Amino acid sequence: MPDEIVLTLTVNGDKHRRLIPASRTLLDFLREDLGLTGSKHGCDVGDCGACTVRVGGVPRLACITLAAEVDGEEVQTIEGIGAAEAPLVAAFDKHVASQCGYCTPGIILSLSHLFEQDPAADDAAIRETLGSNICRCTGYTKILAAAREVAARGGQTR
Amino acid sequence: MLPLPSFQYEAPTDVVEASRLLSEPGSQLIAGGTDLLVSMKHRLFEPRLLVSARRLGLRGISEHAGWLEIGAATTLHDVARHPTVLARLPALAAACRTVATPTIQTMATLGGNLMLDTRCMYYNQPAGWRATLGYCLKREGTVCHVAPKGRGCYATHSADTVPALWLMGAEAEFSSARGVRRVAVSSMYREDGIAWLRLERDEVLTRVFVPLDTRRVVHRKLRTRQAIDYAQVLVAVAGPVSPGGTWTAVISSVSSSPILVEAASAAELSEAAFRACQPLSTHLAPATWRKKMVRVEVARAAALIG
Ligand SMILES: Cc1cc2nc3c(=O)[nH]c(=O)nc-3n(C[C@H](O)[C@H](O)[C@H](O)COP(=O)(O)OP(=O)(O)OC[C@H]3O[C@@H](n4cnc5c(N)ncnc54)[C@H](O)[C@@H]3O)c2cc1C
Ligand code: SF4
Ligand code: FES
Ligand code: FES
Repeated sequence: MPDEIVLTLTVNGDKHRRLIPASRTLLDFLREDLGLTGSKHGCDVGDCGACTVRVGGVPRLACITLAAEVDGEEVQTIEGIGAAEAPLVAAFDKHVASQCGYCTPGIILSLSHLFEQDPAADDAAIRETLGSNICRCTGYTKILAAAREVAARGGQTR
Repeated sequence: MLPLPSFQYEAPTDVVEASRLLSEPGSQLIAGGTDLLVSMKHRLFEPRLLVSARRLGLRGISEHAGWLEIGAATTLHDVARHPTVLARLPALAAACRTVATPTIQTMATLGGNLMLDTRCMYYNQPAGWRATLGYCLKREGTVCHVAPKGRGCYATHSADTVPALWLMGAEAEFSSARGVRRVAVSSMYREDGIAWLRLERDEVLTRVFVPLDTRRVVHRKLRTRQAIDYAQVLVAVAGPVSPGGTWTAVISSVSSSPILVEAASAAELSEAAFRACQPLSTHLAPATWRKKMVRVEVARAAALIG
């Protein structure tokens, strides 16, 4: 039985095919094998959300996902954000919602999923979503302000 | 960094093949992996072979003859948003939404939650941390640091969805190469932190059945933060079927198996729950406070039923 697998993965639109150990986490595959270091290594055990990526559009913790378990899927990391996430990134800039920045990639991907589902997400939904990501710098007020601004604009364009 | 131990990996496409692979020593099933991979990073499990549930076709929810059938590999996120669950089994939706965080709910499965290992502050730690204490009874060691004079392990049952499913009268279907059996969720667990699950190693949990005509159940979880944390006290309460009937509660996170309590009134129920539960101190809360909060949480849940 194999302790290596052939992994096929589309990351930010680019298709990759590699032989990897079955024990490779998605986070290590992204950071070590592909050199995409935007997804952060925080706690490594599912507590902090710094490693959040989107798999088939859905947020996942890359540190506790086996690369083998997402074979054939499409992954989006912070390096792959574009026009859809631009308003969120602009709001983070405006409200200085990023200090050391370690949590920021994960939070952008968590919130972009929320706003895709519900462009005018209310405060309760924003707070529930932010429960997935630990930020030790901002105290969350600036992140909340940025997210509220995006939600308010999402409400207008409805 | 906490590297994973190395292992072999198979993703079979039928349950009988999965069961056959699981019957070999040192093999283990991976569903969402949200507990298993953390435990493997901590060297609590070092399986030789991981058998993936992802191609077993165990995802999805359907309705048959008064029962909701939930595939064991359905994510908690999907269970919590299913229209029938929201309309008829709101306590199950609520319970799924208190597990860990929204991101973890998109990965974690209902089956994995029912099969979740018992937890302890001396057990759920990195290998190096445990080594400095000489490990413990549940894994590699000979003493229990919680109750050094005791002979057992008191690791706590901590799966958020179980109290509500128990009170709803849910049943679990297990398949193996030897056949299929269906058991009440209430009969799956026992008061033993090491052998808390009544299960053969080659059995795959395939479906969870929930009766749709169940009594109204209320789920409550007391924890330090409103995200990430496991419960300090977990309760589900159901009122009487007819006036004058029995009130029922299932309390978890206070012992190795959930605890069932019955009483003639809501007031007696919270007293009975207080007497039945003997929680231990955690690093976040003393035992006396947790015991008192069992009474408070059962009363709060009962008040919501009215
Ligand atoms: C930061 C963090 C916080 C958490 N907080 C909570 C919490 O508050 N409440 C809570 O309940 N849980 C919590 N969890 C634990 C976990 O996320 C959930 O219990 C989850 O539902 C487990 O499901 P899974 O699919 O990820 O299981 P896995 O990790 O894949 O498996 C868990 C166990 O179940 C077995 N298993 C899984 N599926 C099957 C099946 N179909 N048949 C037979 N055996 C099976 C596996 O072999 C393994 O032993 C937390 C985890 C993390 C990382
Ligand atoms: S209660 Fe169980 S897991 Fe905790 S220290 Fe004692 S033996 Fe170990
Ligand atoms: S690094 Fe993955 S959750 Fe912390
Ligand atoms: S900005 Fe530093 S952790 Fe969030």
